[in-house]
Amino acid sequence: MNQVGSVGLIAALAFAAYALVAGAVGGYLRSPRITRSAERAAWGFFLMITLAVAALEYMILTNDFHNAYVAEHSNRDLLTYYKVAALWAGQEGSLLFWTWLLSIYSALVVWQNRRKNRQLMPYVVSVLMGTGTFFSLLVFFVANPFQELAVATSTGTQAFTAPDGNGLNPLLQYHSMVIHPPMLYLGYVGMVVPFAFAMAALITRQLGDNWIRITRRWTMVPWMLLGTGILLGGNWAYAVLGWGGYWGWDPVENASLLPWLAGTAFLHSVMIQEKRGMLKVWNVALVILTFFLSIFGTFLTRSGIVSSVHAFAQSNIGPFFAVFLAIILFFSVTLLFLRLDHLKSENKLDSMVSRESGFLFNNWILLALVFAIFWGTLFPVISKAIENTTVTVGAPFFNKVAIPMGLLLLLLTGAGPLLAWRKTSFQSIRRNFTAPLIVAGAAGAVMFAEGVRNLYAWMTLFLSVFVAVCILGEFWKGAHTRMRTASENFAVALYNLTMRNTRRYGGYVVHIGIVLLFIGFAGQAFKADTKGLMQEGDLLRINNYELRLSELVSGDNPNYEYTRAIFSVTKNGEAFTSMHPEKRFYKASQQPTSYVAIHPTLSEDLYVVLAGLDPGTNKAIVQVFVNPLVMWVWIGGVVTLLGTLLALVPSRVEREMAEMRLAQEMIVQAGDAF
Amino acid sequence: MTGVTGKTDCSKTTRGLASAILLSTLLGASLARGAEARKPTVESIGNEVQCTCGCVAPVNQCPMLNCSEKAEIRAFISKEISEGKEEKTILQDLSLRYGLQVLSAPPAKGFNLAVWILPGLGLLVGLSLVVVIVRRWNSKPADESPAPPATYDPKVLAAMEEEMKSAGLH
Repeated sequence: MNQVGSVGLIAALAFAAYALVAGAVGGYLRSPRITRSAERAAWGFFLMITLAVAALEYMILTNDFHNAYVAEHSNRDLLTYYKVAALWAGQEGSLLFWTWLLSIYSALVVWQNRRKNRQLMPYVVSVLMGTGTFFSLLVFFVANPFQELAVATSTGTQAFTAPDGNGLNPLLQYHSMVIHPPMLYLGYVGMVVPFAFAMAALITRQLGDNWIRITRRWTMVPWMLLGTGILLGGNWAYAVLGWGGYWGWDPVENASLLPWLAGTAFLHSVMIQEKRGMLKVWNVALVILTFFLSIFGTFLTRSGIVSSVHAFAQSNIGPFFAVFLAIILFFSVTLLFLRLDHLKSENKLDSMVSRESGFLFNNWILLALVFAIFWGTLFPVISKAIENTTVTVGAPFFNKVAIPMGLLLLLLTGAGPLLAWRKTSFQSIRRNFTAPLIVAGAAGAVMFAEGVRNLYAWMTLFLSVFVAVCILGEFWKGAHTRMRTASENFAVALYNLTMRNTRRYGGYVVHIGIVLLFIGFAGQAFKADTKGLMQEGDLLRINNYELRLSELVSGDNPNYEYTRAIFSVTKNGEAFTSMHPEKRFYKASQQPTSYVAIHPTLSEDLYVVLAGLDPGTNKAIVQVFVNPLVMWVWIGGVVTLLGTLLALVPSRVEREMAEMRLAQEMIVQAGDAF
Repeated sequence: MTGVTGKTDCSKTTRGLASAILLSTLLGASLARGAEARKPTVESIGNEVQCTCGCVAPVNQCPMLNCSEKAEIRAFISKEISEGKEEKTILQDLSLRYGLQVLSAPPAKGFNLAVWILPGLGLLVGLSLVVVIVRRWNSKPADESPAPPATYDPKVLAAMEEEMKSAGLH
């Protein structure tokens, strides 16, 4: 199977390199025949990488321990779905997986555009396959997962088949880890598609509405997947790492947030270009930045230049990524400068109080946040290089910098959509903002009376109410207008209103999701924790909870040994629940891990960690957290996901417009052929 | 004709920017006040100190079982608190004992000042860019040409009117 995988990789590399050149040549010579051949090569790339992935998965699932990667990252007793996930557990496999996702995206783009965007496609294929060539080179020559396991002997190295593998890292043996990396990678890799269309539009000088429409949709998909991946990662950290939190401002977490924030800025500023023909250079720059940050995130995770709990071991692939990043930057920025004349703004800003200015401020803060996080993440490397001093830049720095900016963004989440395009009158501001301000003010007063004294938490909750009333008010007003004009009941009016402009109302749902996320974040200000050494029968109190350690049970299964603590919990003196945290010891990898017990409710999570047994007394080391409002983070994530899906559904008007555009393009193509 | 006079725009721009800066300043000031008012505890300082066992996590979040370094650092913090020392002094003592990397964020001194200053500077540079963009847009001559005569089909106009009404734009 190693040979099959290697043949797949080398053939994929050949297809990608051919498509890279043929795409560029086909575009330059305007040859449909060469362009089609480049597209077929992109299909070939997809098929060959799929073959390589299938070969590796086959070896993992059949416990083929003469493959070094399989022996390192799997073992016989690993559950099947964790075996499937072993594909992305290590450097080599995850790079292959990255390349496979790229091949899937490329095939989708080629298929979707087989009859449209024909002038852009040669260069789109060329850029996609340029990226494919880079990753294929990396996977084949630098981080090849199809190496035989070998042992050193007196006469050299000798192939060797291990009786069992080292197993999957225990921290990865959690259900959300099975889907977290694929989601994250789909987000990272997907950003190559908008970049490819932007580059094709710059090369062909077709910088009208078309490329921006395609790019917006192709940015929303990976943006949504990246966001989902980030939240799943947070869920994993919360449930597995056992420190009671879901976000630690780790460099690798930051690396995933950067392209998401840049993509968010693009998804907002693109609307100014669509509506007013402004910010054209800025939008191309944001597409470039988003893709750059996606590759930078991959580089940061894998190069070992920063210390991180998530990072892969230090490897030699850093310089290759650095060169690729330099090529991306040089190629795209040069092209952007060469096309500045084609990217002139068609309109001017009519007023500082308008939707356009709202988007400008939104972009200002998002980009400042990107810069601050980028800078903080890289500062230890810079400090080491310049001062030869090792420093840490962690949560205290990022919280101080990001929270105020986040609050400004939250304010714009509600205020922005209520501002009119071009100019918003004072009367309109008064009409739109009076009710949200009154409701938020009342909520703020209640929160203060209830004892909320943490300034940031109070501001977050105050702004959340303000934004929620602003956004829900938009739904209410729109539905009531329909009820009057179309004689519909409220539910039907709300449905028709949303489906007639899915993009607008999907966006509003996303904003509601963001509000819920912020409510969840505010809960961090009120968390409480305690710890203790406990033996059977002991009590531990926290807030209005009382935990009694009923029993300590030890056990064994083929994968791990465990110690389980069984707690009976009372709340306000009444029976509440039973919780069973575990300490596990994985046999194959010889590593311990915690299995946290969480009792989630809408108001707060009770979170119990069995850290282990005290060696001196053999008592259980127990840590308990009460984490308020965490559930709203996950609910907010789901609402954001649903809102994005809604915005992706073409509205009736959009479908008709798309059909008209396709018909027009086919007429033009027929004319050209004639 | 969609433009407004440069002077009015300028004053509106200034007002908008002044409000943004004021808001940012208020946030910053309240942050500083919050930090001053905090009393040190092992938990609060434990979040600002990295564990030295190699786990790459703050002391409070170190996932290692029976981590002796975590226990030692926590004991050190506890001792300093019992001696009545303030958070700033305890952090200083920790950095003297374990090196600067033990702090989760470097002190705002010397070269490390850059890590604290640049985000704010970035925010201001970004704001300047927004101002430049807005000024450049506004300095463009307004389109004085008369609006083209309406040549749309009255049926299309009626449909658009209906669409806007149903979307709540009227």
